[in-house]
Amino acid sequence: MSKKADARAAKAAAELAAQQARERRRNLSIGALVLVLLVAIVSAGFLVRELTGGDSDVDTSAGTAEHSLTLGEDSAPHQVIIYEDFLCPYCGELERASHEELRRLVDEGQVQVTYRPFHLLQDFEYSGDALEVLAAVMETADPDVQEDLHNALFAEQPSESGPFPSQDDLVDLAVEQGADRDAVEAELDSDRPEQWVETATQEAQSAGVNSTPTVVLDGEQFTDFRTIDDLVTNLVAAIEAPADEPSAPASSGSAQ
Amino acid sequence: MLAAVSREQPGAAGWLGVAARLVTGGVWIWAGAMKVTDPDASVAAVRAYQLLPGDVAEVVGQVLPMAEIVLGLMLVLGLLTRLAGVLSALLFAAFIVGIASAWARGLTIDCGCFGGGGYDPDAVDKYPWEIARDAALLLLSLLVAWVRRTPLTVDRLLFRPV
Repeated sequence: MSKKADARAAKAAAELAAQQARERRRNLSIGALVLVLLVAIVSAGFLVRELTGGDSDVDTSAGTAEHSLTLGEDSAPHQVIIYEDFLCPYCGELERASHEELRRLVDEGQVQVTYRPFHLLQDFEYSGDALEVLAAVMETADPDVQEDLHNALFAEQPSESGPFPSQDDLVDLAVEQGADRDAVEAELDSDRPEQWVETATQEAQSAGVNSTPTVVLDGEQFTDFRTIDDLVTNLVAAIEAPADEPSAPASSGSAQ
Repeated sequence: MLAAVSREQPGAAGWLGVAARLVTGGVWIWAGAMKVTDPDASVAAVRAYQLLPGDVAEVVGQVLPMAEIVLGLMLVLGLLTRLAGVLSALLFAAFIVGIASAWARGLTIDCGCFGGGGYDPDAVDKYPWEIARDAALLLLSLLVAWVRRTPLTVDRLLFRPV
């Protein structure tokens, strides 16, 4: 009799254990299913963006020679385009770290560098002032002076928290680089420099550039970096790398 | 017999857990929503930390906002609640490391936590508060994981107590 009860108890215990095992399996599968769903949701947004043409691509054809500072020949094997704002601190860091190296590569005929400065930091008047002075200098002075002013503006870059040089100070800086004061001031009195800044900024926006510095190497946005120093090192290495791989000279637009 | 499984009364810890879920989850949803509409800015904010290689920064910047929203919903709705608590704590720990490292390296960047990002001249004044905020949220996330079963969760509908 007690044996019978034992047997019944054992059977009940076994059933309970089986039941619990089933519940546990059920919980586990539901949990796994939910987790897979959640991961799918997170990845979906990313994949859709990647597949629908990746908005990180820069359409470099949306830029014109009049609004670019170009160093080197169209025939150079590599094309670098740098979108920048004269106040953006990382642009300053990039310029100060790279302009000598890039100048050397340009002189060696290894690369054509196109600077496309534009007014990204719309909250700051300084950024626009500097561009207008550059625009006036581009209209009235030699390419050497233009390049020197470009480099000087980054060398003397103010902090985003100010104090900011006035536009007159910037004209002084341009004159120091060899620009003609009267010609630059006359140009600034017209509305052409302002127009230039607006157009250059629109071109950058049409190109899909909304942060600076944006560096484009042979038609592809260059993102192989962690720090700005990395960026310079890797960019120079990429330009100097022997062109044994048939890397198609992409994007005819990049040469304007 | 099994139908009589007791619906245990939620204790103080349970309700504390609910509060922690709503606070951490709400912050995640808000943070994600501020960023998800502008993936480029989000990528730029990640880059500004100068911690991750370019390609990785790109992926992190793109995925993070959506992941934050989903994680927030998991916490608020109580879906895989303990896992969400642990993931939330890990993510806050990662952010604390990121901000502390930016601070230590002398970078002055907006943390980009709720959109924005990039250079910020007042960053050094903000770093301690950002770290304190994330540390508090990290503790709340751990609380969610520690309480195990809080009231008012989707988990209770999906999973049967064993």
